[in-house]
Amino acid sequence: MRELLYKEFKMAIHPAFYLIFLTALLLLIPNWVFTIAMSYLLWVVVPNLFAAIAANNDTFFSVLMPVKKSDVVTAKILTVVVLEILNVIIAIPFAVANSMLYRGGMGMLEPNPAFFGIVLIVYTLYNIVFIPGFYKTGYKMAAPILMAIIISLLFAMFIQVLPFISPQFNTLFNLRTQESLMWQIGMLIAGIVVFVLGNILTIKLSVKRFEKLDL
Amino acid sequence: MSILNVVNINKTYENFKLRDVSFKLEKGYIMGFIGENGAGKTTTLKAILNMIHIESGKIEVFDMDMRSGEQQIKENIGYMFGGIDFYPRKKIGLITSVIKRFYSNWNEKVYRHYMDKFKLDEGKKLHELSHGMKVKYNLTLALSHDSKFLILDEPTSGLDPAARDDLMEIFQEIIEDGERSILFSTHIVSDLEKCADYITYINNGRIIDCSSREDFTDTYRLVRGSKKQLDSVKGGLISFKEDSFGFTGLIEKENLSSVDGLEIGTAGLEDIMIYYSKRGAK
Repeated sequence: MRELLYKEFKMAIHPAFYLIFLTALLLLIPNWVFTIAMSYLLWVVVPNLFAAIAANNDTFFSVLMPVKKSDVVTAKILTVVVLEILNVIIAIPFAVANSMLYRGGMGMLEPNPAFFGIVLIVYTLYNIVFIPGFYKTGYKMAAPILMAIIISLLFAMFIQVLPFISPQFNTLFNLRTQESLMWQIGMLIAGIVVFVLGNILTIKLSVKRFEKLDL
Repeated sequence: MSILNVVNINKTYENFKLRDVSFKLEKGYIMGFIGENGAGKTTTLKAILNMIHIESGKIEVFDMDMRSGEQQIKENIGYMFGGIDFYPRKKIGLITSVIKRFYSNWNEKVYRHYMDKFKLDEGKKLHELSHGMKVKYNLTLALSHDSKFLILDEPTSGLDPAARDDLMEIFQEIIEDGERSILFSTHIVSDLEKCADYITYINNGRIIDCSSREDFTDTYRLVRGSKKQLDSVKGGLISFKEDSFGFTGLIEKENLSSVDGLEIGTAGLEDIMIYYSKRGAK
């Protein structure tokens, strides 16, 4: 598994893609749609990572190595997961800076712990729709990627407008009180749990489909 | 020890079927796997490497079942699939640095030796190498992790005659110590005449024969006769070609008694392939 991950980060991901982490700078914009800022990774890097599988004959290459076939898929998904976690971690200092710089309270989701919990759920939805969909064939990606982007985006937008619709949600999501903070941390923990369980399921479903493929 | 034992494998595709494919390769030999384009060579090789799901049958490599011992077996297998480039835009030095981590028995000294011997430059990208150089790079990788069994799909297609000859010599050197075996598919029969100890011939998803090169060609004869004679012998022939003088056909040696009065000659590998493919699916 270690070798496969090394291959992913050394060879499969083009170094220029790491520039995507600069989108964390968007968190410095006052009162913006920050779920969008966190989604560029899903729209640019992840699709390219999977498109490169066909261009580089990556699956063929990997299964010929002395590894378990299922590990080939698990490594690919773990790569996506690592990129997503990195994207979140890199965004945190900018989120803190945002809270220090601006007063907030304009109704947009504040980049607080709850926001990152939501982002993790957005990532989970995307992964679970896209990746098992991709491994139905191992190369066709248009339909699963479109579906994954639409579903994750709809969810993000729904959460994004919740504070506008309901003052109660606004209090929970956006207020900087001790009480709201507790709720926001709870939301973050919920996001982490969903992310872990959802990705385990993504791996299980993808491996099951991949094992059925004739390469 | 048998290196490879393929027993009765079957696989059905929409327009193609592998039927009861069986053959065996012993340690220390080169086997040529021949057949026309689309005869099932690559499919069989993929089945051996557990890349496709066979419906029935059994594949053993180094006397181990491929399905249960896959990981261990692959440690000792080298491979090359013609026309499939892995990471073509990456420098081969980088590709090597990734690949060598997968093999516990990687030998850097052997790797350097063959890189020098084949004049391979680590700074070059894979797509910049000629086909012949790509084959040599794959052989280098295989030898560097001490592969005992090399599976090569069409290594010679697209090579000029000098490069092919060169490669055949390298194959001979590789098996010299009696520890390694090579299975390579091809449709260029002159390659086999130079170096194959055994030949397995696949036609339309079915194995026609698997034997030593001499036995293989000795099984068949070419016969010539007039058009008048054709009708009476047609049934015994594998297939035939008509021309203005009469006909030429391929026949199994043991059926020769049924054809009297015909001119009989030896059949080459190419003749055998041509007449079998003319026969079509039977």
